[in-house]
Amino acid sequence: MARDKEKRSCGQVVAEWRAFLWDPRTRQFLGRTGSSWGLILLFYLVFYGFLAGLFALTMWVMLQSVDPHVPKYQDRLLTPGLMIRPCAEGLDVTFNVTQSHTWEQHVRALHQFLEPYNDSVQAARNAACPAGRYNEQPDDAVPNYPKRACRFERSRLGPCAGLGPHGDYGYGSGRPCVLVKVNRVINFFPGKNKSINIVCAAKGHSATTHEEDAALLGPLNLFPPNGTIDLMYFPYYGKRVHVNYTQPVVAVQFSNATANVDHHVECRLNAAGLRTDDERDKFAGRVAFRLRINRE
Amino acid sequence: VKELEIKYGTSATKGLSEAEAAARLQRDGPNALRPPRGTPGLVRFGRQLAGGLQCLMWVAAAICLIAYGVQRGQGDRGSSDNLYLAVALIAVVVVTGCFGYYQEFKSTNIIASFRNLVPQQATVVRAGQTLQVNAAELVLGDLVEIKGGDRVPADIRVLAAQGCKVDNSSLTGESEPQTRSPECTHESHLETRNIAFFSTMCLEGTATGLVIGTGERTVIGRIASLASGVGNEKTPIAVEIEHFVDIIAGLAVFFGATFFLVAMLIGYPLLRAAVFFMAIVVAYVPEGLLATVTVCLSLTAKRLARRNCVVKNLEAVETLGSTSVICSDKTGTLTQNRMAVAHLWLDGQVLAADTTEDQSGEAFEQRSASWPLLSQVITLCNRAQFQPGQEGVPVAQRDVIGDASESALLKFAEVTSGPVAAARGRFPKVAELPFNSSNKFQVSVHEAGPQQLLVLKGAPERVLERCRGYLREGEEHPLDPEWRRSLEGACLELGGRGERVLGFCARWLPPGSVAAGTPPEALAEVATGLCFAGLVSLIDPPRATVPQAVRKCRTAGIRVIMVTGDHPVTAKAIAAAVGIISEGSETPEDVATRLHLPLEQVDPRQARARVVTGSELAALAPGALEELLRTHPEMVFARTSPQQKLLIVESCQRLGAIVAVTGDGVNDSPALKKADIGVAMGIAGSDAAKQAADMILLDDNFASIVTGVEQGRLIFDNLKKSIAYTLTKNIPELAPYLVYITASVPLPLGCITILFIELCTDIFPSVSLAYERAESDIMHLRPRDPRRDRLVNEPLAAYSYFQIGVIQSLAGFTDYFVAMAQEGWWPLLVLGLRPRWEDAHEQELQDSYGQQWTFAQRRYQQYTCYTVFFISIEVCQIADVLIRKTRRLSLLQQGLFRYTWVCIGCFLCYCPGMPNVFNFMFQWWLVPMPFGLLILVYDEIRKLGVRRHPGKTHLGTPWIPGTHLGTPGPHLGTPGGTWNSPGTHLGTPGPHLGTPGTHLGTPGPLPPPLDSIPSPHPPQIKAQVTRPGVCRCLLLVERPKNPKRSPRNHQKVTKKRKTLNT
Repeated sequence: MARDKEKRSCGQVVAEWRAFLWDPRTRQFLGRTGSSWGLILLFYLVFYGFLAGLFALTMWVMLQSVDPHVPKYQDRLLTPGLMIRPCAEGLDVTFNVTQSHTWEQHVRALHQFLEPYNDSVQAARNAACPAGRYNEQPDDAVPNYPKRACRFERSRLGPCAGLGPHGDYGYGSGRPCVLVKVNRVINFFPGKNKSINIVCAAKGHSATTHEEDAALLGPLNLFPPNGTIDLMYFPYYGKRVHVNYTQPVVAVQFSNATANVDHHVECRLNAAGLRTDDERDKFAGRVAFRLRINRE
Repeated sequence: VKELEIKYGTSATKGLSEAEAAARLQRDGPNALRPPRGTPGLVRFGRQLAGGLQCLMWVAAAICLIAYGVQRGQGDRGSSDNLYLAVALIAVVVVTGCFGYYQEFKSTNIIASFRNLVPQQATVVRAGQTLQVNAAELVLGDLVEIKGGDRVPADIRVLAAQGCKVDNSSLTGESEPQTRSPECTHESHLETRNIAFFSTMCLEGTATGLVIGTGERTVIGRIASLASGVGNEKTPIAVEIEHFVDIIAGLAVFFGATFFLVAMLIGYPLLRAAVFFMAIVVAYVPEGLLATVTVCLSLTAKRLARRNCVVKNLEAVETLGSTSVICSDKTGTLTQNRMAVAHLWLDGQVLAADTTEDQSGEAFEQRSASWPLLSQVITLCNRAQFQPGQEGVPVAQRDVIGDASESALLKFAEVTSGPVAAARGRFPKVAELPFNSSNKFQVSVHEAGPQQLLVLKGAPERVLERCRGYLREGEEHPLDPEWRRSLEGACLELGGRGERVLGFCARWLPPGSVAAGTPPEALAEVATGLCFAGLVSLIDPPRATVPQAVRKCRTAGIRVIMVTGDHPVTAKAIAAAVGIISEGSETPEDVATRLHLPLEQVDPRQARARVVTGSELAALAPGALEELLRTHPEMVFARTSPQQKLLIVESCQRLGAIVAVTGDGVNDSPALKKADIGVAMGIAGSDAAKQAADMILLDDNFASIVTGVEQGRLIFDNLKKSIAYTLTKNIPELAPYLVYITASVPLPLGCITILFIELCTDIFPSVSLAYERAESDIMHLRPRDPRRDRLVNEPLAAYSYFQIGVIQSLAGFTDYFVAMAQEGWWPLLVLGLRPRWEDAHEQELQDSYGQQWTFAQRRYQQYTCYTVFFISIEVCQIADVLIRKTRRLSLLQQGLFRYTWVCIGCFLCYCPGMPNVFNFMFQWWLVPMPFGLLILVYDEIRKLGVRRHPGKTHLGTPWIPGTHLGTPGPHLGTPGGTWNSPGTHLGTPGPHLGTPGTHLGTPGPLPPPLDSIPSPHPPQIKAQVTRPGVCRCLLLVERPKNPKRSPRNHQKVTKKRKTLNT
């Protein structure tokens, strides 16, 4: 075939292709008559229709068999991720104290984030739970009974609550707050019944720089005190039954950070039996971000 | 002689001076054949990297690198997949290239080991002194001496000779020794007696001659350069693979372009869409196929090597399978290349002797009372003797000192009447007159107790002159006309069979009639009034295995043509003996004799067989040779020159045949090179022939060719299965990417996983398919038509891609969605999730349960999906390898786990834990299983349809009975699976009318007889079909172009399939 090809001229090839495309003598399109094409089309229509039906059926059966409240496997979520607010691009909190437009967006974001944490909302929706222990709500007789959520009042965040007339979370005064939150994971019981907290520190690259960095970063104020996250906020029961669940947050205030310097800060979830040193997942149980406060 | 001396500036007595010789050596170069420009290793390796598939992979690798560059340019650092892919593609090409090169290298070594590395010495007279020099240092005008056992060191004009005989068989194909003497006997220097040719053997006698040609300027050198000037043809498998690459490339570009447009419409940026396009094109490249093909071919090459066929070029393995014409040399290929006693004539009867190589044939009747005397004459009138120390060796293999005829007679005597040496001891020789060309007889006198016995043998007419009586039933009768007539008849009959006839006679003499030391010349006077004992005829007998092999070739639809340099009579006789001219078929000459017509009045078309000589061939008009080949199914070419052999091969190729040439001589080498596959003989073959050949039969057994054909056909069938298997998974590998683009789901199958499937797990099953036994008796089918029976045709691609492949993809997606849903990502959420899923800054993506996932957690989940999809493909591929095991038979008929290789392949690749890099969960294996089962059931239904209606799919193409009823044109998605139907070989007319039912071993309606099919083909073809027996030539009959196709068959099967499916 290849041998023949070389011998044919270009014009012949074109003519052959044209004849292949549409042969008026035999009324063939691409080497087949219309009815032949039709039948092939019909066959594939039926064939794929059958397969599509089969697929739809499998999907339906699968969805029927999947538990709508608890996923079957959670082996990917052994350590919940940590995240900060304001969640700036590239986790880079940079602003200029004197230029309000550089930090107003952060403030807006925090306001928006803390909206559901308003004391009034919490009081209306959620229950006051006994502190210091897991808020377990077993399904006694009724399966998937709606679960109550525990209150987390905004006011607990102290100066980082953003309340009051200024309500700038310290950004206007060069003492910014950053909120740290823990990702929701169903049936996650952290800390093995011991209290858990968030720890933040300057992240140095070596021992000496570490101390210098810590000195530059200055003291950190954590709210609630010590960055504790109460056990009553666990476990999470899923969005269907745990509708008003309020994620606990910890606020970090950088009360005396050196201006015009890049600070690298890392916060970890300190809980018994929780690994926070996964090399591959930089956000499993920890979060690192950059802070820079510019002054003129 | 004077002229010669002047022409070559030399002396016929003293030779050249040393200085002159050195100067001429400087001028003309050494007297050696330039070894055929041995392709350097690097070039051969390069060729391994430049096949059709390899080019495809190179292009793909380049595209990958471009895509990688584009992504890097965009700052997308995360995906080095394209880089890995490019590296893997290049690695595959290089590794398989090394593998192929190694295979080739090994067989080249085997061939090289044949070469005689001892430098040849020549006796030369220079400046009046006789000295031994290296043959390479001979120059024009040198005076050389040769003696029995020497190889002629250059082309020599014989000046003086004593009983010099040379063996020209490797040059001209004549198996008889040729006498050399100073007289010029013929115009043509090939025919004349006074020239001995370079590299031929001097068998006996001595000769002195002038060197008239050295090195490349010898006759052999010219033939060798003719061979090296012949280009190599592309092997059929290479053509097939190119065709396949065309299909692949077409589909890849089609899919790529489609999705490029789709991506643009969906709103991807141009660059991104371009990357998609490239990725799809690359995803279509079957990375593992190259390895599979290489391994399959080398496995078969190995299998062939075990049967003494060494394959120089891997692709040649398959070529033999598609061969439709074998042009065979006679001497040494079809015959044993030794003289042997074929017939005896005594008491007025012709008796056949045993000519098999190992004397396993039947011995003739020895009861005649005349036999003792004849055998005594044969034993005594013979100068040949066995070389000492060969007592344990079978007679036929013993080395003999003496010429070919005498050693044949010696061996014959040893076998039929016991030890010759002992007999000679009992009858000591008194005197003898050796054979010479003027007397044409040989006499010796022996003491036989009280009397003396004179024995004589020679040309029958010369012998008869000296006879007075003849022997009948042990008694002597005086000669009478009736007996003379019968003798003449016998001579003619045996001579007509191409045999050399010798007469034997004897006479008892009174004691002391001949004293010891009587001069030989005096014996001629004594040897009169003899008693004629009988005739013995000699021939170079056909090899015992050849007739059966030729028959098998015919059953397999392969035409065997004899092309020889020997005389037409001998050629015809051997052709008839081995079945190349079958019993009952006649040449025009035979027809003329039968009808008592002059030859000119016979229409050659009436004859099936035809013997054409070289001179007739030279007189033919261009195109007439094709006409001859077309008219006569049984052809013998005799007295052909190497150029004419080449011409014959080319004519066959012009008629569309795939030609195999077998041969051993230098004169065959151009044809060997030109042929689609050249087969040289390993033992008898000359170096030039081995160099030019693609394949070498180590045991010189023509029957090995039949094995080769069988293996070649099998590998074609099995490669088809392998490729169908390998292709199928291309779709489930591609579909995830397409869905990833269009439905924006997280990527279900990654590039590394694809490579793992292609290059690790799938290699074993696809190679295991190469071990499949033939389903039907493939040696009863016609050779495939290279223009119709493609390795990969559109129906095969459509069935693999659009049916099985789609089912596999569905299995993969089902498993994927299940795995995602069980981790918390329900199908509806997954659709359109891709941008957020792949956002490396998004660390709190919510799943269907409200849980939040970091990027790394999602990545991990994505890898799980890869695994899941991988498992699904593997499970379906298990089903796939099972359905590909057979093409027509049900698995239940063939036996599910009959072949350990498939099992081992499955086990090795599919047992969990083998790919430790993945995370396995048993449940994921369960999900795709119903789909695997679906594939099995679906294919069983298809096969059932094919078996129930074997003709249905193929009857739609009834336009040419006698050709392959394959399906023409793009056969997009005929569900009936025409590609693997028996109908592709259906068109076997003649003695083995192809009934698929018989081959299949399944009860099923037979298709209507071929000639009952209405056919719009030209009438003369049909006329031939109706004449049984003539049809073999149909292979070469031109087919009408653009045959009308009937779509009816597709409809029926389509309908059937529909009803079965829904």
